[in-house]
Amino acid sequence: MRKKYLLIILWILIPFFAEAALLAAFMRTGRTGGGFLQDTVAVNEIARTVEAHWGDLEEPIFQENCPFAYDFTVLDREGNLLWKSAEGLSESINAAISHRDTILDVARDGATVGKVIIHNGSEEDYEARKRNLAMALLLVFLLQAAVLLGYTAWIYYRLIRPFRRLKGFAERVAGGNLDVPLQMDRHNLFGAFTESFDIMRSELRKARLAEAQANAAKKELVAKLSHDIKTPVASIKAASELGLALSDSDRMRDNYTQIIRKADQINTLITDLFTATLEELQQLTVAPTDISSGELALLLENADYLHRSQIPPIPSCLLHADRLRLQQVLDNLFANSYKYAGTEIVVAITREKCCLAVLIEDFGGGVPDQELPLLKEKFRRGSNVGDREGAGLGLFISDYFMREMGGDLIVENGAGGLRVRVMIPLSRA
Amino acid sequence: MKKILLKTESLSKSFSSGGVLQHVLKNIDLELYEGDFTVIMGASGAGKSTLLYALSGMDTPTLGRITFGGEVISDYNPDELAVFRRRHCGFVFQQIYLIDGMSLMDNVLAAGLLVNKDRKALAERAGELFRAVNIPEETWHKFPTQISGGEAQRAGIVRGLINSPEILYADEPTGALNSRTGLQVLDTLTEFNRRGQSVVMVTHDMRSARRGNRILYLKDGVILGECSLGAYEHGDVKRHEKLSAFLTEMGW
Repeated sequence: MRKKYLLIILWILIPFFAEAALLAAFMRTGRTGGGFLQDTVAVNEIARTVEAHWGDLEEPIFQENCPFAYDFTVLDREGNLLWKSAEGLSESINAAISHRDTILDVARDGATVGKVIIHNGSEEDYEARKRNLAMALLLVFLLQAAVLLGYTAWIYYRLIRPFRRLKGFAERVAGGNLDVPLQMDRHNLFGAFTESFDIMRSELRKARLAEAQANAAKKELVAKLSHDIKTPVASIKAASELGLALSDSDRMRDNYTQIIRKADQINTLITDLFTATLEELQQLTVAPTDISSGELALLLENADYLHRSQIPPIPSCLLHADRLRLQQVLDNLFANSYKYAGTEIVVAITREKCCLAVLIEDFGGGVPDQELPLLKEKFRRGSNVGDREGAGLGLFISDYFMREMGGDLIVENGAGGLRVRVMIPLSRA
Repeated sequence: MKKILLKTESLSKSFSSGGVLQHVLKNIDLELYEGDFTVIMGASGAGKSTLLYALSGMDTPTLGRITFGGEVISDYNPDELAVFRRRHCGFVFQQIYLIDGMSLMDNVLAAGLLVNKDRKALAERAGELFRAVNIPEETWHKFPTQISGGEAQRAGIVRGLINSPEILYADEPTGALNSRTGLQVLDTLTEFNRRGQSVVMVTHDMRSARRGNRILYLKDGVILGECSLGAYEHGDVKRHEKLSAFLTEMGW
């Protein structure tokens, strides 16, 4: 692990070293470009040569490609141009002064006969250096930009994206949906972190399931007991009615009447015990808001984490739905299909009069027709579930959520398997 | 069976104000028919003007589709929408928006020249329209500040109709006028509609609404109900009672 971090730090530092090296290299080439101090010997040599050849500047020595270290012009005493070694040089004393050229007198026999103007190349030199520097800076900036882009991409892929996924996962767990596993990526920095998250989820899920099973067992016990209690109560009531018919004193009749009334009360209480099992559902709140149908794509993508379906184009409209609960419904439907059918899934979305219909169909054979109406009931599971675990609550809760939103959940057998239609209501006032 | 001019599917419009998303129009499914005088009614803030702007391509919907003559105009970009409006829509607003520095005729021609370059034909059509709205020839070359509000609004109608639009959209056309001049403007609109011009008018004024043969009632961004009245006849009491009953039912 330590080695890995060292490597990362090294990767961060390398581009900066590269930039520094690049700049240094350019500085060095700039230095070899020559200073703008003129070589006095070379300057004097030019002056002497001109003096020596004064009068016949047409000589071949001047005609050849300037054999001297610097370009120069020669003027006579009146300032007329006699000779120049190249174009673009100063051709008068004034120009030479303003250009900071070196001006030397040409003396012959003790008298000044003309001037030599030796070109000052410092300006060109300066321009060349400026260009070099700009080029070097540009290169460094480009390199810097590339490095920054690289880091941003790296941070996005390695930190932000997995973190976002983690956020969605946490939201779902918070919403009570424990069926969707967190896809772990060993390469990202907190792979181990995500793994412990997922272990947490599966433990929670196990606990939930155990709780649901315990609840179901309790309910069975209550059902059995109430049945068992009802039988002796019925016997007591029958015996008391017989006693009431046979008794001859008023006091006895009052007693029997009292017993019959109490037996009836016990019966009512036991019946209440049955009906009081729905109350826990009221704790699941559904708060629909107006959302764009485009968000459905993300919800479907989240739900279909094994990518067994193609998300079709979604008609653009405004839905009235609870995002979290709708996600739970879709999660549940996809998880069911994964668990029981394990086939490709066909998703189709159509705009109906009152709502947006999301059709989810698999090819797992469906359930027997006579069981269809019962599937959405509490603790109901198809007869062909095999030994796959489950509490028989998924469709019941999904149906409850859709109804609370003002929509509906329709379960039917399609051509090749179970077909579920989620009717999401459109926003209307 | 009337011909469908314009059709919307799940037309929705949302505005974000102060970080809160406001849904002004919600899933409106509407068909506008050729030759109809459609009136959109509703209380302030119901989304009437927003609907008119979305239908006429002055604004784009947030969600949903608008189809006009087989073309999905909700997919148009702003430039395409501008061309669409010039060719197919006429507009009359509460604020008349005539250009003060131009005569009435020039105001009308300016709108016409965007589509048709034939100045002479345009001037002829403008003349016909001016006569139809009872603006005498000596007024054509007056400036907007020299005429009455009623005349200005009628000139506004002429400008709206100069390019022979399929639909004339009117947003509270009598809102800024007094009772008598407002009546003249309404008569003008009714007359053009009688000759076959499709009109869509937004109003919260019952007297204006009476002119339509199809009344839509908008509430909180949803079409709550609609009422079909048949062609307008002056002084038709039954028609008036039907509209009153409809509006009472809608909670007007």
